[in-house]
Amino acid sequence: MTRIFVRVLFGLLLLASCQAFVAAQQPTSAPIKIGAVLSLTGPGAGLGGPERNGILLAEKRINERGGVRGRPLQILIEDDGSKPDIAKSKAEALIHGEKVVALLGPSLTASTGAVATVTNSLQMPELCMTGLGPAIESTYKSLFHMLPPQALNARAMLEYIAKGLKAKKLGVLHDSGYGQLVLTNIQNLNKEYGVEIVAAEKFEVGATDVSTQAAKVRAAEPDVVGVIATSPVPFRNARQVRIGQPIVSAVGSSSYEYVKGMGEFADDITFAEFIVAEDPLPHQKEFVDYFHKERGTLPKTYDAAGWDATHVLAQALEKAGPDAGGEAIAAAIRANRYRGVVAQYNFAAADMTGIELDSYTYSKLVKGQYTRLPFKAGK
Amino acid sequence: MSPVRHAIVWGLAFALWAALPFAATRHVVDLLVFAGLYTIAGLGVAFLLGQCGIVSLAQSVFYGIGAYCAAWFCVQKGLPSPVGMAAGIVLSTSIAALVGWPILRLSGYFLALATLALGIIGQVLFLEWDGITGGTLGIGGIPRIAPFGFAFDTPLRFYFLVWPIALLLLALHHNLLHSRNGLALRAMRDSPEAAAVLGVDIHRLKVQMFVLSAALGSLAGALFAHYVTFVSVDSFAIDRSISFLLLAVLGGVYTVWGPALGALFITILPQWLSRLGDIHAFVFAAALIAAVILLPEGFGGAIRNWWRARAAK
Amino acid sequence: MSVSLLLQSVLSGLTNGFVYGLVGLGLAAIFRGTRIINAMQGDFALLGGITAALLLERLGWPMALAFACAVAVGGIAGWLMELLLIRPLRRRGGSEDSYLLLTLGVAFAVSAFVLYAVGRDSHSLPGLGGEGIVVIGDASIRTHAVWLIAISLATMAGLRLFFAKTALGLSMLAAALDAEGALTTGINVPLMRTLTFALGGLVGGLAGILVGPLVTVYFDMGLLLTLKGFAAAILGGLANPMGAIAGGVTLGLLESLAIVTVSSGYKDVIAMVILIVIMIVMPNGLLGRRLRKGG
Repeated sequence: MTRIFVRVLFGLLLLASCQAFVAAQQPTSAPIKIGAVLSLTGPGAGLGGPERNGILLAEKRINERGGVRGRPLQILIEDDGSKPDIAKSKAEALIHGEKVVALLGPSLTASTGAVATVTNSLQMPELCMTGLGPAIESTYKSLFHMLPPQALNARAMLEYIAKGLKAKKLGVLHDSGYGQLVLTNIQNLNKEYGVEIVAAEKFEVGATDVSTQAAKVRAAEPDVVGVIATSPVPFRNARQVRIGQPIVSAVGSSSYEYVKGMGEFADDITFAEFIVAEDPLPHQKEFVDYFHKERGTLPKTYDAAGWDATHVLAQALEKAGPDAGGEAIAAAIRANRYRGVVAQYNFAAADMTGIELDSYTYSKLVKGQYTRLPFKAGK
Repeated sequence: MSPVRHAIVWGLAFALWAALPFAATRHVVDLLVFAGLYTIAGLGVAFLLGQCGIVSLAQSVFYGIGAYCAAWFCVQKGLPSPVGMAAGIVLSTSIAALVGWPILRLSGYFLALATLALGIIGQVLFLEWDGITGGTLGIGGIPRIAPFGFAFDTPLRFYFLVWPIALLLLALHHNLLHSRNGLALRAMRDSPEAAAVLGVDIHRLKVQMFVLSAALGSLAGALFAHYVTFVSVDSFAIDRSISFLLLAVLGGVYTVWGPALGALFITILPQWLSRLGDIHAFVFAAALIAAVILLPEGFGGAIRNWWRARAAK
Repeated sequence: MSVSLLLQSVLSGLTNGFVYGLVGLGLAAIFRGTRIINAMQGDFALLGGITAALLLERLGWPMALAFACAVAVGGIAGWLMELLLIRPLRRRGGSEDSYLLLTLGVAFAVSAFVLYAVGRDSHSLPGLGGEGIVVIGDASIRTHAVWLIAISLATMAGLRLFFAKTALGLSMLAAALDAEGALTTGINVPLMRTLTFALGGLVGGLAGILVGPLVTVYFDMGLLLTLKGFAAAILGGLANPMGAIAGGVTLGLLESLAIVTVSSGYKDVIAMVILIVIMIVMPNGLLGRRLRKGG
């Protein structure tokens, strides 16, 4: 008699716990609102588009697995049109209007500068998709970067140029936006690596033909040529004026659409970046496979940055609780030495990313295909 | 309309204006602040076009100078905001006078191209002289306008700073239109030879108007800097000049209130349309086209025509 | 600065210059026929380029057919724009500035539509002569660029012939110079205006497929092309399409030479300053006849 009773009780207990388990898997309660301000139109659309992909994919994945503390994430994405004033307006709308608990983005440094003034005054955690901007950002306590500062990008390029290619003379062809940012940092660091900058030629974003500038670079007879721009045009023109030297570039220039635009000139170009989806590192494989399954294409850095940012935030919300308030969530982010697809993060570091040189993966374009180089930067 | 009715209408309008920001959401008030800033800058472009027939694509330069002066004097030098604002206006007007003198001898499309050239030169210099302007990174941490400790740091407070200034300037615009100078300007625009014969120094008048336009652009830029507290080159490119021209023509360049109406259109409408998702940019452009075709004299012109038609009955 | 660098800058300047000139050619043609400044001329190029890109990439059409279709699309766009948008504005009494604003609005609309329908990716077009380059001394120019120059000159000559010798061209000119007079001689003035826009669209579409292989075709490419084309057209004296080519080449060479003689950062500043000086010194443009002061 007792045995049957115990068995029935046990069965009921099992049933009840299954029910609870299932209920926990299906997030049924009020969603956690997160805001995202990205550049979906304008010149920054090449960054914002992939970032949105990564964020939405991460949101889907996290919600599939039960959300955060049983509540689904709801990410509200706004477009800043690549303009800092609009970014600030949209951020304020999300914060005060939609009452989001945290902010992802923006995609551009100038927009980050504008939005950070808002989030900082409210202690709202913000995970932006850019590197460190003007010096004032280091005083902000709740701003975190998903990508390294341009100084580190410059350093990563110089590591390969000096140690990988053993070059002494560098010529640079760059655009007036992104390229100028990276170049300024290269100019601060090149002496440290014993590399001399023999030419630095600039062109406007969206230029039709930069052969003159490329020819000037060639005339200076460098060992290596750096091409830094958000367009395939300078890469083509450089090869067309018969620059035969190896080309080294930065993460912002590496995307599948640029490679397509380079046509037959997508060869012997090395990028100091973070992810080579054709040959991913073990910790990147899950993301690459999921991305490919869901979207049919391969991801690149900015897709991964969006993915990482969402996961970092989700983890912090899980730990601190979604209603814990900005400071607590920010503290949870800071405490988390997150191993992302992009890099090993340490948000407590001074540059608010903590990315080190060893997070860089060097890729080389060989006949239009990305291959992963064994070269590792740093000690 | 009798003086009493006049006073009542104006009183109601004032009450509406004053109550609006309290009723609207914070985001809408933020947009209204931007509308105010664009009204001031757009006014400079509007009267230059309406009264002098000059298409100016250089307003973004003066807007930028006003903003960067505010940033530099307050952030680098730690001086109070009026200093930065005044410096910006002085610099803008000097440059406008200096550059305006030779180029305002041109007319028609040549002059438009010359102002476009100025706009491009300004854009490049803002980028190149990054020691002063911070280049693409920009300058952050611009302090708020805070006379006697009262900081204009929220959209609500700034609304009550920028719109009184804008309305005051629009009132002065009204005076300009109806003054002797206004008549001289329109004479110069419509029939330069006749105006010259009547002893109007056309060239000098043009330069003066250009300088005035630059002063307005500079003032708007300085206020902009103190509102957003962050400035970078992306805000001062040619497309900004195009926006100012757009709102000036949309609002109606021959009317007093035109710039305000145009400014409201280009700030409020895109926000309202953004709920449509990715297609919102196209819908805005379509709305713009419809507005131009249906109201060739701009919003202000349409309202004025309607008013006159009513009065005629 | 070596001879080869100078030579390279000249070749590069010519390439860019003819691109600007081709866009300016369309602008000048439209202005000549309708007195309207078309602020979306660069977007005709966008339409042509993107049509060609889609036909080649997604439907696999042969190059010649895709290019012909792309140019036609430009022409159709121009024709539709005049019929559906400009005519209503004209009926309601639009001022010069409202026409400018209208074409500006269309420029935004085209750009936004391409972004929405096709996406933010850039597309590359195959060049005439593939990726081949012509080597002159130590400098090089793309074979496609040589084709571009040749086709631009041919288009310019063709337009000149068209306006001077053919009945249709003369009718279009007459309609532009004196609408009432032309009406009395039986010329269908509204049709002439529509055809002018269609012609401008054709030239714009042509510019698109010629520029496409040099840059890449993407939704935001229109504005910069329009600005440069505008400068080229004005410089050449607006009413003279031949002047637009001359103006464009001048601008392109100015930019290139500024790069090699001064610095690449300041090239636009130098080019723009010289542009202003040229306008002050040559009030009728480089080649223009005096039609109206300042163009």
